[in-house]
Amino acid sequence: MDNPLLNHTPVEHKPVPKKSKSQDRLSAQIWKHRKEYLAISPFYILFAIFGLFPIAFSMFLSFQKWDGIGEMTFNGLNNYQFMLTDPEFWRAVGNTLLIWIYSTIPMLFIALVVAFLLNASFVRFRTFFRIGYFLPNVTSLVAVAIVFGTVFSNNYGLLNYILSLFGLNSVEWLNKTWGIQLAISVMVIWRWAGYNAIIYLAGLQSIPTVLYEAAKIDGASGIQSFFKITIPNLRPIILFTVITSTIGGMQIFTEPQVLVGNDGGVSGGGLTIVLYLYREAFVNNYFGYGAAVGWGMFVLIALFSIVNWKMVQGNPSND
Amino acid sequence: MNTRRMVSLGLLILILLISGCAGTTSSEKTKTLTLWYWNRSLDDELIKSVEQKFPGIRINAQKIGGDFKSKLKTTLAAGSGGPDIVAFNDWVAELFTSSDRFYDLYELGAKEIEPDFLDWKWKLGVTPEGSMIALPIDTGPTALYYRADLFEEAGLPSEPDDVYAQINTWDQYFEAGLKLQEHFDNKVKMLDNITNIYTQINAQSDHIYFAEDGSFIGESPESSMKTAWDTAVTASQMKLSANTTTSSSEWNAAMNNGRIASFVGAVWMKEILMQAAPDTSGKWKVARAPGGDGNNGGSFLAIMKTSKYPQEAFDVMKYIQNPENQVQSFKKINLFPSATEALDAPVMKETEEFFGNQATGEVFSESARNVKPAYFGGKYANLNGIVNRELSSVALEGKNPDKAWKDALARVKKELLR
Repeated sequence: MDNPLLNHTPVEHKPVPKKSKSQDRLSAQIWKHRKEYLAISPFYILFAIFGLFPIAFSMFLSFQKWDGIGEMTFNGLNNYQFMLTDPEFWRAVGNTLLIWIYSTIPMLFIALVVAFLLNASFVRFRTFFRIGYFLPNVTSLVAVAIVFGTVFSNNYGLLNYILSLFGLNSVEWLNKTWGIQLAISVMVIWRWAGYNAIIYLAGLQSIPTVLYEAAKIDGASGIQSFFKITIPNLRPIILFTVITSTIGGMQIFTEPQVLVGNDGGVSGGGLTIVLYLYREAFVNNYFGYGAAVGWGMFVLIALFSIVNWKMVQGNPSND
Repeated sequence: MNTRRMVSLGLLILILLISGCAGTTSSEKTKTLTLWYWNRSLDDELIKSVEQKFPGIRINAQKIGGDFKSKLKTTLAAGSGGPDIVAFNDWVAELFTSSDRFYDLYELGAKEIEPDFLDWKWKLGVTPEGSMIALPIDTGPTALYYRADLFEEAGLPSEPDDVYAQINTWDQYFEAGLKLQEHFDNKVKMLDNITNIYTQINAQSDHIYFAEDGSFIGESPESSMKTAWDTAVTASQMKLSANTTTSSSEWNAAMNNGRIASFVGAVWMKEILMQAAPDTSGKWKVARAPGGDGNNGGSFLAIMKTSKYPQEAFDVMKYIQNPENQVQSFKKINLFPSATEALDAPVMKETEEFFGNQATGEVFSESARNVKPAYFGGKYANLNGIVNRELSSVALEGKNPDKAWKDALARVKKELLR
């Protein structure tokens, strides 16, 4: 760092080289606060073992060919090349996006409506409803998938029974691509609408009532105050729920796996990216490839989060 | 200083405890053999009896739940912390490339007991290079399960011997199916799904996807792959399939409601069927399968190279799998024997109420004796998955069979290059 430009900066005049001096100072600082560092160390140690190391290792693994037991051999970019040229991977990406759209948009809408109703003054037994809406979120996912499996069952399902009551023909839900995707989406909506409603509710309650009162005095209607006060004030919370639902939606796995199996059902309608990753790594034993798919998914989620963020923040009406 | 040292020592101990380094305190004189198996892959009481039979040996039997294969592979990858004896399922061939991680049982005296076992089953545990990594546990001989009452009503033969005599080939089976479905106005289907037809025809064959040198033979005439595909597609085109995935809730309901008249399945399907279709008790019978005898599944025992007591481990395995104990395991938890002597045991002649007082053991024993030895290869499951996916598309979405076959082959070739 012998940049002459730096010499103009007012540095303390010392004969000792700058670098080692600051190092000394840093280690002295650490030594001085050793107890504090020791106190915070468990998190960092555990994170390094269970968080950082797996991430770094999966990066390394994505360039290897490995069946899980034998020797690892360096595979260059072959895993990534195979991924980008594999129609099943793109099929999985498409399925995941479709399921995400089918589930997230209705889910967040329902959540907003539920939150609005729970916040309304005319609702009684509010705590009961709050718990009731949140309950699906803590139900075992596998149990939920099995129950929904019987609801959507092709011949003897509850849904087909209801259709038959109205004299309609039964639908082979789980033998159709759209049927599988619909079933998975309904499962996601059922499970997460209440959770997001509780988050929206917290957001609604943090909006000062003076804003609504002032709007009322100025003659604003209920709908006007909803769109001009509620929605803008909820924007950061909506952004939060959109991003978390995106991350969650991109990682859907248990629902399709329990509902239609490792292959994603008929012609892979329920084959999501994580299910594809799971199948390739743990069923077909391509662990290096599985790691590469994991990184592909990382890129996708990052892209989508940025797009979401731009979309929700993009409207400049926010002051 | 002292307190700091104590704190860091305490943390170190804590980390060691968390990471599971504790537990290797085997300072006794007895030799401890750790065994990994999954529920109902071995008889628990038989395992307990090992310690009486072999004084000085302690068995630490661990039932591994969840995804057994993944846990085994993780352990192999870690290189330590594994058991002495480990059970394998029918994916044994996937471990052939790692055969150096297991003891060659031929070196521990397996040659002596080789004549006691069914030849084809024994060979499934031997690598193409000739080292034996896995000792047979049970087998899954296949046969035709059929509703004798429905067959009789439709004017088909209904006694097992007559069924076997008259419905001997897949063509005859399909013709019988048409007759039966016509009689019941298509309210009853002849079979459950066509991927099962595909699986069963391959299970009856001695050449499926790979030659022993690992080369793909699916396109050569000796392989059963194309025949199995065409036969399965024919069944679909003749509308003989109820299109229900085996042992799904749909399948269970269809079986219990009498919507499916027959299917070819392994001996272990007996329990699945009995649980799925209690209302049809007494109406089922079992006959030798059309197209020949085959095998689905069946497990093995192996000794990890990390074991300190390979000879003791092998002696224990030999004891667990001797013919008398195989008969006991069959009686208790329905593990169908792999020892030829056990196939003649009196228990095979016991009648079963669910199967109209037929002794199905006789049919399955005969089937087990006639299975052809086959080489599966490490990628059998991958290829089977690809073909089954295309077959489902044909059956359920009406995909053009020729296009599906081409897609399947293209995908298989891509898979083989990985």
